[in-house]
Amino acid sequence: MDLGFYALQLLTGLAYASTLFLLSVGLSLIFGAMGIVNFAHGSFYMLGAYFLYAFTRGQADGFWGGLLLVLATGFVIGAFVERIFIRRVYARPEEYQILLTYALLLIIEDLVRFFFGTGYRAFPMPQAFAGPLFLFGTPFPSYYLFLIGLAAISALLLGLFLYRTRLGAWIRAATQDREMLEALGVNVPLLYTVVFGMGIALAALGGAALLPMQAATPGMAVDAVINAFIVVVIGGLASVWGALLGAVLIGLVQALGVLFLPEWAMVFPFALMALVLLLRPWGLLGRPPAVRT
Amino acid sequence: MKGWFAPLLLALGLALAQSQQPIKIGALFTLSGNFAGYGKSGSQGAQLAAEEINARGGVLGRPIQLIVVDDQGNPDVGVREARRLILQEKVDFLFGIDSSSVSLAVAPLTDEYKIPLVVTHAATPNLTEQCRPYVFRTSNNARMDSWAAAALAATLPVKRWANIGPDYEFGRVSWQDFITRLKQLRPDVEVVSEQWPRFGSTDYASFITALTRARPEAVFSTLWAGDMVIFARQAKQFGFFNQVRYFMNPVGAALEVLGPLGKEAPEGLLVSARYWFLYPNTERNKAFVEAYRKRFGEYPSYNAEEAYAGLHMLARAIEKARSTQADAVKRAFEADGGLVYEAPEGRKWMRPEDHQVFEGLVWGYTKHTPDYPFAILERMRIVPATDTIYPTRCKR
Repeated sequence: MDLGFYALQLLTGLAYASTLFLLSVGLSLIFGAMGIVNFAHGSFYMLGAYFLYAFTRGQADGFWGGLLLVLATGFVIGAFVERIFIRRVYARPEEYQILLTYALLLIIEDLVRFFFGTGYRAFPMPQAFAGPLFLFGTPFPSYYLFLIGLAAISALLLGLFLYRTRLGAWIRAATQDREMLEALGVNVPLLYTVVFGMGIALAALGGAALLPMQAATPGMAVDAVINAFIVVVIGGLASVWGALLGAVLIGLVQALGVLFLPEWAMVFPFALMALVLLLRPWGLLGRPPAVRT
Repeated sequence: MKGWFAPLLLALGLALAQSQQPIKIGALFTLSGNFAGYGKSGSQGAQLAAEEINARGGVLGRPIQLIVVDDQGNPDVGVREARRLILQEKVDFLFGIDSSSVSLAVAPLTDEYKIPLVVTHAATPNLTEQCRPYVFRTSNNARMDSWAAAALAATLPVKRWANIGPDYEFGRVSWQDFITRLKQLRPDVEVVSEQWPRFGSTDYASFITALTRARPEAVFSTLWAGDMVIFARQAKQFGFFNQVRYFMNPVGAALEVLGPLGKEAPEGLLVSARYWFLYPNTERNKAFVEAYRKRFGEYPSYNAEEAYAGLHMLARAIEKARSTQADAVKRAFEADGGLVYEAPEGRKWMRPEDHQVFEGLVWGYTKHTPDYPFAILERMRIVPATDTIYPTRCKR
């Protein structure tokens, strides 16, 4: 019984990790390839949740189609935002990207409030996941297994894409040396548009996939982006695998922490982050900053 | 004749101009961020009350002018806005306030500028226990909610209790008040688990499994707003509500919670709010609900009714004082054993010592009906105001 319970607790931790991974992997990808610190990342995550709600009119039977539609819309919006806004600040000091993406965060929050109101929007559980599974004799929401699967598949596909395709190779090359990549004839501006679109699409997918377990509100963007930054700071800001590792660590520390030190539940993610910052300030899988000569 | 006529005319003119001048009330509500829904309800309730008062000719012949500002739930913003309302808008009263931390930050301004503050939502008991002369609270506070919950819990046939609450002052103090009071009433109860998720958490899975493992018979919770919405949805997926006999939440019957949960709300939760729009079944309450629906197209949440009643109660005090001057209004609130007002929810009585209003509280079990798109309360249990009257250290 007790072993089963710990297994279950690990599973809840992994489910939480999955949500964190979907939220933060795009942030990592965009920073790694483009050097953009996207404060509006949580806003696109929020938009994903609201779009799913809008596309399906809040009805559970439109869930699967809605999810795909959110993914596609997320990519288009991301590409659009990169072309119209982000592109203008590459050559400028970093303060500009912070100002710009922070402005986007505020604008999107107000747009959402304008179109959807201030209340919470909840989405019913899709039919396929309506009943709980019984694991070790305890009910466990089947949707959590779906979330774990979705995160695992996303990580796998992203890994295959980055390491097995030419476009992926270019993106990895962009993290190393942009000028050289451009000199070799790669259309880097277009590449950036694609990367930003992908990062945003992943965030939007994450927001949408979480909606049946959570609830959408205009304030969720800020909470989300803080969580995303904690994950990537732990894992290493420029690394997709870092996002995965950071998410899994937080999820497990949280799940096991509440068993042994329930009084301190709130402290775990921050304590973990502080520890990493002390020992490896560039994150567990990040690269130490190169010394420029 | 000419000699005294002109000054008389002037005096009359001045008096008339004075009587036309509105009584300015600066209302602080949280209108942005995660709790904007609560601020919206509160400001709407206050607005409806102001319109009613003005329609019947105002107070002391002067109309009420309500100036609503967004405090963002942030103490710094709240203080800045309150100061601006006092110094630039020249308000006579401050009003509203959703967040406890904003209320505690704004309260000292009442002494500094001698401008009374009437709080209609912020629920930390500390606000009124500071015994400030110009701070009044016309809604019930978290300690009263906890005491009412304990009075009710003492009648339930269970001993093993657990808690899940947001990890900040409100959650911690509410649980302390509840369990201390419950142990006074029922020395045989024991606490089997306490869970403290961060306020604003979006994932409760590990808390739910940890809670279930302790096998409590009853769970007390002060999760509110989106936290309660998300917790209830996730806990339901875990079959949590079938494994505990009672789940009590003194703020769970807020329409800001039951509305978004819709038909997914679990049934049989024992919840309360500081007002429930279907109770009491009086003409007064029905008229209020009808007027509110007609004006805003939705049912009044507890925060709407508390702000509505609070503004009416303040108007009553001003009328009784025949003045808007702070000390006169204070005396009007305190005189004759404390001001009494018949609100839509029932009788509100202000205790003169600490300026805290006491009122009966309605609890009930959630239940779905075809008549409403959200769960409503059935098997209602009324906790009388006398069960919530805790001792105060204030003296007047």
